Amino acid sequence: MSNLIEFFKNNFHYFLLAVLLVLSILMLGKSMSYSSYKLARISQGITGPIQKNWSEMMHKFSLGQENEDLVQQNIALMREHDNMFIVKEDTTLTMMSETDSLHTQRTRLYDYSYAHVIFKTIDQAYNYIIIDKGSKDGIGKDMAVTSPSGVVGVVSDVSDHFAAVIPILHPDSRISAVVSPINQVGTVVWEGTDPRVAFLENIPQHLEINIGDSVLTSGFSNIFPKGLLIGTVKEVMVGNNASFLTIKIRLATNFNQLSLVYLIENQYKKEIDSLKTGFKTE
Amino acid sequence: MNNVFSNILRFLIVVLLQIFVCSHINLFGFATPALYLFALLLLPFELPLSAQYLIGFLTGFVIDLFAHTLGVNSFACLVLMFVRPYLAKALNRGKSTEGVERPIPGVKDFKWLFAYTLTLSALHQFLVIMLETSSFVNFGHTMLVVLCNTVFTVFLLLCILYIFYPAQRKY
Repeated sequence: MSNLIEFFKNNFHYFLLAVLLVLSILMLGKSMSYSSYKLARISQGITGPIQKNWSEMMHKFSLGQENEDLVQQNIALMREHDNMFIVKEDTTLTMMSETDSLHTQRTRLYDYSYAHVIFKTIDQAYNYIIIDKGSKDGIGKDMAVTSPSGVVGVVSDVSDHFAAVIPILHPDSRISAVVSPINQVGTVVWEGTDPRVAFLENIPQHLEINIGDSVLTSGFSNIFPKGLLIGTVKEVMVGNNASFLTIKIRLATNFNQLSLVYLIENQYKKEIDSLKTGFKTE
Repeated sequence: MNNVFSNILRFLIVVLLQIFVCSHINLFGFATPALYLFALLLLPFELPLSAQYLIGFLTGFVIDLFAHTLGVNSFACLVLMFVRPYLAKALNRGKSTEGVERPIPGVKDFKWLFAYTLTLSALHQFLVIMLETSSFVNFGHTMLVVLCNTVFTVFLLLCILYIFYPAQRKY
């Protein structure tokens, strides 16, 4: 008997080895059979929370890249969503099939790109924004600038790598707008010091404007496409000069947190403007 | 006592590094180093064999838990711990092995260490990859992965060995 115990003691490591080997082979068999998810569930239960936290942390490092990808996707979606085209018929091909719409050339009226804000002021009388793209990136004067939530302003000045934007929060900024349900055209101006509020002018007094109505771009200026959100009506006041209403609007863009802007270029602006100069209005 | 503590600390650091860093490395798309072998390779030879087996198994098990490949690393580490003393004995042939036996620079020469790490890493990687793929389809590619992993692991282990355990005395 003591011999047996002695034998067991001396060869304990062999027994242990055998047991552990059998154990690992059993686990192998279980994990490879794909029929028993129990083991996987157990190991998931132990390591899952740790791995989840870790991957969330690692995810933060790739947020910049992810953001960039999303912006690219947004631009692509904007292009797809926008169906402002200039349709030209290809006259050399119309002889073959007059009804076939494939032979018409469609050219985009608006083109989209994006930039990041590198400097901005919002609490002064003459505010401005500098963005990190310039003429070398295809940015030109009078391009429209919007944020993901609403209209921002118009490009006023361009250098090689940067551009200056006149936001709504500037006394010179005048954006042609329509009030949504009644489609009355007015002008959005900024005259205060509050970066959240602007005014809508030139709305006749007899019209009924409700609080909460949305104010959209009209598209008449050939800078902004039609129908971009500028803000919502906050307050309607009857002014002293009887013919027009004074309408306060809450701007859709949060200028405080502005960091990404989309730029919209009207590719035919020059052409349209050259026609306009033919009419001397004054 | 100090020795025990340093061994435990080494295990902790190396296993954590393996789980959170090395397992996410994918050099050339597939080469992943097995850094945690470092702790196993440096385990004192004087330790009772049963303890060595148990440590090997548990280390593999922890790695398996995080990789969701239960059994793969446990098995490979167990085999590695089993082979290790015999390999050391074979490599020591013809030389006296008196004093403290540690597989570190200064005690062993480069040739010894290289053969030691290469053999054990190759064995370990072969087992792990074969068990993970568990098929002989695309055997050439499987072997390529084994080769790349082994080279990467050996390179890493030797670098760490020579950086953190610099030879103070030459025998």
